[in-house]
Amino acid sequence: MADPASTPLGKMLLEEITPVVMVLCTPYVEESCLKNGLSLIQLLSPFCDFTNIDVPVRTASDQPYRLRKFKLRLFYSSDIRQPNLEVAKERLKKVITHVGEKNFLESSDPSQVNNLLPRPESEMLPSWFQFFNKELVRTLSFSDHEAFDHPVACLLVVSSKDDEPVNRFVDLFNTNKLPSLLNDGAMDPKIMKHYLLLHDNQDGPFNKATKLLADMRNAFGQNDCQIICFNSSQDGKIHHQDNPWAPFKSDALPTENLGGFLNLDDLNEIKDFMQELSSKHIIPYMEQKIRVLNQQVSATRKGFRNQIKNLWWRKGKEDTIDTANGPVYTFNSIESQIRILGDYAFMLGDYELALSNYRLISTDYKLDKAWKRYAGVQEMMGLTYFLLDQSRKDAEYCMENAFNTYLKLGSAGRRNTTRCGLWWAEMLKTRDQLKEAATVYFRICGEDTLHSAVMLEQASFCYLLSKPPMLHKYGFHLVLSGDHYKKCDQIKHAIRTYRSAIPVYKKTTWSLIKDHVHFRIGQWYALLGMYDVAVTHMLEVLASTHQSKTTQELFLRDFLQIVQKTGKTFEVLKLQLPVINISSLKVIFEDQRTNASAAAATVKESLWRSLEEDIIPSSTARSNWLELQSKIMPRKYKESNICVAGEALKVDIEFKNPLQIPISVSSVSLMCELSANPEEDANSSNNEVQNNEDRTSTSSGDINSCLILSEVDFSLEGGETTVVQLTVTPRIEGILKIVGVKWKLSSAVVGLCNFEFNPVNKRVVRGRRKQHSPSGDLKFLVIKSLPRLEGFIHSLPEKTYAGDLWPLVLELSNQSKFPVKNLKMKISNPRFLYAGNQKELNADFPACLKKKMNVEKSGRHANVNKTLQNLYHFPEDISVQEETSLSWPLWFRAAVPGNIPLYITIYYEMEGVSSIMKYRTLRMHYNLQVLPSLDVSFQLSTRPSRSQEFLLRMDVVNKTSSECFQVHQLSSVGQQWEISLLQPVDSILPSQSLFAGQSLSCFFMLKDRRRSSTSEDSIPSLSHIQSDVRLGPQDNSEAFFDVSSSPLADFHDCERSSQGMSSQGCEYKVDFVFITQLLKGNSDSSSNTPLVFSHHACDCSPSSMSPISWLVDGPRTIQHNFSAPLCEVNLKMTITNSSDAIVSVHINTFDSPSSNNQLIDDATTSQPPEHQSGWSEIPIVNDTKIITTEALTTRVPKSLSLESVPQFIWSGTSSTELVLQPRSTAEIPLQICVFTPGIYDLSNYVLNWNLTPVNDGENQGEANKSSGVCQGYPYYLSVLESNFKD
Amino acid sequence: MTSTACFIIVSRNDIPIYEAEVGSAAKREDAAQLHQFVLHAALDIVQDLAWTTSAMFLKAIDRFNDLVVSVYVTAGHTRFMLLHDSRNEDGIKSFFQEVHELYIKILLNPLYLPGSRITSSHFDTKVRALARKYL
Repeated sequence: MADPASTPLGKMLLEEITPVVMVLCTPYVEESCLKNGLSLIQLLSPFCDFTNIDVPVRTASDQPYRLRKFKLRLFYSSDIRQPNLEVAKERLKKVITHVGEKNFLESSDPSQVNNLLPRPESEMLPSWFQFFNKELVRTLSFSDHEAFDHPVACLLVVSSKDDEPVNRFVDLFNTNKLPSLLNDGAMDPKIMKHYLLLHDNQDGPFNKATKLLADMRNAFGQNDCQIICFNSSQDGKIHHQDNPWAPFKSDALPTENLGGFLNLDDLNEIKDFMQELSSKHIIPYMEQKIRVLNQQVSATRKGFRNQIKNLWWRKGKEDTIDTANGPVYTFNSIESQIRILGDYAFMLGDYELALSNYRLISTDYKLDKAWKRYAGVQEMMGLTYFLLDQSRKDAEYCMENAFNTYLKLGSAGRRNTTRCGLWWAEMLKTRDQLKEAATVYFRICGEDTLHSAVMLEQASFCYLLSKPPMLHKYGFHLVLSGDHYKKCDQIKHAIRTYRSAIPVYKKTTWSLIKDHVHFRIGQWYALLGMYDVAVTHMLEVLASTHQSKTTQELFLRDFLQIVQKTGKTFEVLKLQLPVINISSLKVIFEDQRTNASAAAATVKESLWRSLEEDIIPSSTARSNWLELQSKIMPRKYKESNICVAGEALKVDIEFKNPLQIPISVSSVSLMCELSANPEEDANSSNNEVQNNEDRTSTSSGDINSCLILSEVDFSLEGGETTVVQLTVTPRIEGILKIVGVKWKLSSAVVGLCNFEFNPVNKRVVRGRRKQHSPSGDLKFLVIKSLPRLEGFIHSLPEKTYAGDLWPLVLELSNQSKFPVKNLKMKISNPRFLYAGNQKELNADFPACLKKKMNVEKSGRHANVNKTLQNLYHFPEDISVQEETSLSWPLWFRAAVPGNIPLYITIYYEMEGVSSIMKYRTLRMHYNLQVLPSLDVSFQLSTRPSRSQEFLLRMDVVNKTSSECFQVHQLSSVGQQWEISLLQPVDSILPSQSLFAGQSLSCFFMLKDRRRSSTSEDSIPSLSHIQSDVRLGPQDNSEAFFDVSSSPLADFHDCERSSQGMSSQGCEYKVDFVFITQLLKGNSDSSSNTPLVFSHHACDCSPSSMSPISWLVDGPRTIQHNFSAPLCEVNLKMTITNSSDAIVSVHINTFDSPSSNNQLIDDATTSQPPEHQSGWSEIPIVNDTKIITTEALTTRVPKSLSLESVPQFIWSGTSSTELVLQPRSTAEIPLQICVFTPGIYDLSNYVLNWNLTPVNDGENQGEANKSSGVCQGYPYYLSVLESNFKD
Repeated sequence: MTSTACFIIVSRNDIPIYEAEVGSAAKREDAAQLHQFVLHAALDIVQDLAWTTSAMFLKAIDRFNDLVVSVYVTAGHTRFMLLHDSRNEDGIKSFFQEVHELYIKILLNPLYLPGSRITSSHFDTKVRALARKYL
């Protein structure tokens, strides 16, 4: 640091801490001066600043030094008082407002922090800070605790026009008019006086004035009186180059000619006067005063003795004076004298002397607890240290001390704190301690919000300028400052500071900060009425997902308000609300593949393609269909998508509301461009481009006529995501390009979103054509309008019960002007749906299903072929004429429960309409929900006696929750089986209806007609066949449903094929169809046609259970006298092999209940063992008891538990093995021994059977089950005690 | 428990990856952003101080009115910043150390990309529990 005096602070101090000259003048003086547009002080001020005065000064020391710079401050006596606080504040506010206005217009946004930094310091730091600081410091002038503002001299000015000028001089220095400082004893009223006579040359000749001067010299002394003649110019037209008064008259208008009457001589005269005043009068006076005071101080305070005395004296004084601000010091008190000495020395540049005096006095003040004075002295000490450029630490310590002391004083020292802080901060800045300076600025902030704002802004600049720059702090302090400005209604300043902070926070992820800054700027711009700028800032905060709900509401509401105030609809390219998920973009368009419904479009293309494989002409289906048209179509559009004029393109876009509050979005539509196909009319490539561009512009002009765009309105709840389908319908041929989407938020702001922005993530549904150029994805070649079939299946239920059988009508309508023909249809799932005959269209349902006598059986086989291929060719003569529709019957049966997708594709050709497309397909997709209805299971078992007859057990469980089914009939498919009920239905199910959750078991007798017919030796006619059994009301005359004719037979075939069965019935296999009805009346009153449900069971065969059957035969009741040792019972078991293989059977009998099989049997039958033991415990005669015990003893080793043991044992062989030839029967004798009377269950035996593998591979299915175990079935034997003895 | 405490984890790229208001005082709408401002401003000081010491816990490094910023810098230069109005330095140190352990556990998660936002609710719960315990 070169010279402290040349630093900003040094300059400021040399300007501010200078001798004050009090000016007293008469009204005539002012009048003369005002001719020049200046007051007296303004007139004199330019000449008070001496940059090279070169006066020798000798203060306390004997060594004189030369004073180079000197300045006088002139004040009217009326201004020498403490400025009014309110006025000062008002003036400062005006300064700030003025600067605010000016800077606001000039300011440009510094867009980047990096751009901000390399600029020179002076450029960055607003110049008005200096000015403001100076003004702020000046509000504190003339305080009583500091002496440097006390007038050093008094300049009395009287005009030569005044009457009796000498008397006027006396009057002027009237104590009544003098400032309070002189009167209340704060300073010495005996002040150096200088008398000046001002002569206006316009008023009269100079000689009168010289005479007056002589009078004055007589009265006031030779040296103290002087005369100035001015206004020598008569016309007032003198124009001064670089006007010296301009800095002193800030409110001067530029047109005003200051000093117009002053010619060069006048100026020189004034200049000389001022120089003489300062060098010959003021400086010597101050020198002298310093010397006098210094002697005084040395005498009383310097030296060891004086110090001791002072200490002692101070202590004694302590209890006498103790006011709040410490003792009151008058000008002649030694403390004031020392202070004056210090200040004078300071002003004359003798800093060493000043410092020693300040040090001396500061201890005194401290002891006296005169804190304000103490702080003032500390402050001066700090500044003196600074100017001496000695100990930096001391300087800072003193400043901090002063600052803290002022701070302790509270509101009284508030402004002093500010001044001290400013000086301190300046000092730190000079020493490049910018961080500390910023802290000081921050500490200055106090009650006055406006001043705080400026201080904070200065602090922020300190952070910016510090090395390395502390940008975070810079931003934060700017924001703080902005908030303070806002509190004082300095909105322009607030915006300016916030805007400066934007570069700092531009890329920040501290979301709350970013939102806050942008929201505030937006708000404030709105307050200023600059809505356009406000909106751009508000847009930044719109999609703030992290904010709370109320904040989001606030943001959105304010935003909408501002937009409303602008009075126009904004178009915003990147509106964040709602968020568009570009990757979700899905374009659905139809070329030759058309969709009947939106659902069909969502199905995977590969699925359709596999379905359509058979029906699309092979030549086009195999190769890329586009190749065929390569001659016609321009090469560059070879890969572009094709759509048909008049047909809508659908675009699915996902909108997401990122906020927690609902938003309303309206008028969502696509932005499209339709241009003419350039290949059609272009001759040369140059023209082509030209034309294309022209057309683009024109077609977008009359876009309404060429394109039909759909508009969608919706509202989104907080966090909701919705997919919106937008459509565009081109009406003429050309090239259609989807550019983007636009929408209106809360019917105020229009948001635009260009799809091109993010083309990589796009997904076009027709996945086959992966585009090379992303822009091609949304480009479509629009071709001439073509016929398009609309397909619809009437009354296809969405939800139904399994087994539901129902006729449907497929309606195909052709809206175009051209007929279509060659229709083909393919259904993905023929179990559920197949095409009927056209004549069935108007058939009465369900009556058409019923048996009729004249049914043609021949038609059935044709149907079989057709349904198996899933492909239905419409008859050749069928075509859909222009503007008509075709209805075709379909049969529907819900085969299995579950969610069933149905895919139907209809192929058709059109003639001579377009060369590009010869055929189209219509794709239909339905989803069915099939609920389980009845669970039907069949169990077939051979009757043991007759193998041609079977016992059929049908178990039906109603699995629905509410429906009530009416059982109707059970039919066996084919003609070889005769079925009959074992017992009337009335006994099982009196109501004939099966309620929800109810189950039903029915037993039927099934007869193999072929077997029986061979025995009867007669071929049965069809009429005799009893293959149906009515389960419904017996008296009902309703006919049976015909299971052998379409559609039941067809569905049955489908069932068979789907279950993997061959269509040829096997000998012992039987298929059943169980038909129930559901009266629809209870759910839907409009029609009471019963719904028909059919349940199919295929390939029920007895052999699937077990190849063997057996019968235990023997006496059921035996009377035996148990006085005989035991009772033997002989039984006979007849085993039949009903299979076509050789079976080896192993019969195991067991007595032990611990056997596993027995236990299981017990558990399943859940019969308590004591029931089996019968009444064996009851003794009838005494002697039997012995036998019983005897019998018991024999059994005890076998089992520990008495109750669980059967009261008989198997005698004879316990294990028998035999081999049965196919379809043969064998008999095995069995024997048991019974010891007590009772009822015995002879089921504790097991038949293990083993199939010997067959040589011929006919019955592969049976070979799978080659062995098994059969539990014995209960056979109850009653053994009674015979009463009579033989 | 302090009445005001705002805890933020700042990644090495100055991006906040975890934020929690852990004070017991009633939440004020504008307080949250003030806290962010203060902590954000303190990053400058951390930048200076972090290289002057080998300790991870930098103690109270900055203050704004009565709010104090305490910072803990991990070896990867992730900064744990706590804005608080209490003077319990030991508690804060323990708090930071325990959070550091939690943070390391987060880093060990192979699915966590260092520098990305910490969304684990488990972490959040733990941090809040620690705040109750130590602050």
